[in-house]
Amino acid sequence: MASQRRKSRSESLTLRYAILGGWALFCLMPVLWFLSIGFRPRTEIITAQPIYWPTFSLDAFWMIFEDWPMWKYLRNSVLAIIGSVLIDLVLAIPAAYSLSRYTYRGRDDIGFYILSTRMMAPAIVAIPIFFLFRNAGLLDSVWALMLIYAAINLSFVTWIIRSYMMDIPKELEDAAKTDGAGDLRILWEIIIPAILPGIITASVIAMIFAINEFLFTLLIASTPNAYTMSVALANFTGGSDGLIYNAIALVAFLAFVPVFIVVVAIQKHLSRGLTMGAVKG
Amino acid sequence: MSTTNLSATGAAQSAPVRTYRRRSKRLKKWFPYLLVAPAVIYLMMITLYPGIYAIVQSFYAVKFGPWQPIGFGNYERLWGDYQFWGALWNTFVMGSIALTLQCVIALALAFYAYRDPWVKGWRIIFLVPMLFMPSAVAFIYKLFFLDARVFADLLIRIGLIDGNIAFQSSIWMSRSILILADVWQWTPFLFIIFVAALQGQDEEVEEAARLDGASWWSIFWNISLPMMKPVIAVALILRGIDITTMFTNVFIITKGGPAFGTETISYFIYRTGFKFFDFGYASSASVIMLILTIIIAQLVVKRAFVSAKE
Repeated sequence: MASQRRKSRSESLTLRYAILGGWALFCLMPVLWFLSIGFRPRTEIITAQPIYWPTFSLDAFWMIFEDWPMWKYLRNSVLAIIGSVLIDLVLAIPAAYSLSRYTYRGRDDIGFYILSTRMMAPAIVAIPIFFLFRNAGLLDSVWALMLIYAAINLSFVTWIIRSYMMDIPKELEDAAKTDGAGDLRILWEIIIPAILPGIITASVIAMIFAINEFLFTLLIASTPNAYTMSVALANFTGGSDGLIYNAIALVAFLAFVPVFIVVVAIQKHLSRGLTMGAVKG
Repeated sequence: MSTTNLSATGAAQSAPVRTYRRRSKRLKKWFPYLLVAPAVIYLMMITLYPGIYAIVQSFYAVKFGPWQPIGFGNYERLWGDYQFWGALWNTFVMGSIALTLQCVIALALAFYAYRDPWVKGWRIIFLVPMLFMPSAVAFIYKLFFLDARVFADLLIRIGLIDGNIAFQSSIWMSRSILILADVWQWTPFLFIIFVAALQGQDEEVEEAARLDGASWWSIFWNISLPMMKPVIAVALILRGIDITTMFTNVFIITKGGPAFGTETISYFIYRTGFKFFDFGYASSASVIMLILTIIIAQLVVKRAFVSAKE
């Protein structure tokens, strides 16, 4: 009896590791293969017979920095992303405070309106936004990207921060209030320090979505002046030579590494952030 | 949470002047609205303004020259446009297959991973695809299946097929690539959420069921899964929104082909608007999509988010 139970237990362990390990392989194999694309010469990418053991080459590395304004793309990405996250925090923290700490007419509808903007498909608003920015003379500028990334992420950031604010015990505030502190001072001195993990989580998730954003960037950044990493990728073509895959692969990894490091650092909060606070991981 | 004892300005109590007090009282009433207003106004600029703009534009023929009012002309054209209906159908088919696969796989992985001692390690490994830019992922799949034909070569090597596979001429093969790319990149999104939900469940209930001799599977099916329902709903909605707006992969991998078989509604709007500059027509498609979005938001999303909160 006991041995039988042990046997079935070890069998289920085998199954468990087969499934988890299998998926891990499925996740990592394409990544490793793509990495090998980044470090091979262009002549060994698209061939009659795929080459599995390519010669090592740093061609792509020199190419992305010499043939393309890579630093400019990088600068555009970083500027637009950091700017958009700052705009989001300035707008979202007071909004989240209002939604989580006061009761007033229409509060839940306002909250749901903010949430529902997340559901707008970029394609729905793409044309009007394109004309809006064109008439404002903002096409092809990092400022426009900053504004649009901030708008895309605002609902997410507000709801995540709101969820963290809901967790703060009321007593903490009451104590400060009896000391005569005003609402804004309570927000600044008590609430914000207490929900710092939430603010960081929201910022990281906003950053990822901003890096990933494709459609708006494609429309707004019509020349390399305002290209970000994400859209620059789609333009790594050598005219008649077609796509330059080793450069694409290298840039993909260049963008991946910082994101990976930051996400691993906030791992604990990730599930809560991804569900806008609906799941408390 | 009563607002009456909140003072907007700390000094309000000490002010003896009546007008001052009245003003501060009014300020108190409007204070929460003032706090939330900047965010709402900002969001209206990208939702309300474009929404109205698209509705107005959808009643005009807008091509290079001045706007020509044509009443419901765009909508009539849309009604008879098999490419538009095709795009709706493609979005639905590819979206529902990808979403179902992701949900089932993520649940299975979460079921095996959450009580594994190395759950943190699994989580980090599974996260990797999600942290690549979607445009980069699209290129991985384009190169692997189409440009370098590695997939076909691997199949030939293990002897499954003896020729090349014509991915680009088969609608279902092209769709499969898009679905696979989406499943590969976004299953971790659901996995992370499901594992967190499973880890957060009441351990005592689980322990008691196990002592009664219940198997892991029956605990999962009878206790964990019902508990996770609201979480699953929220996660699927968030993922569903992103899948139905699928654009990047279509733009890079298939360009909507072959025979418009992989054209999603987002790509349809992009193509009519920014490739054919038929802005009025594209706007009418946007308006239809907007109406669908609002209906779904009111019927499904509101309920899911409210129940997840409780």
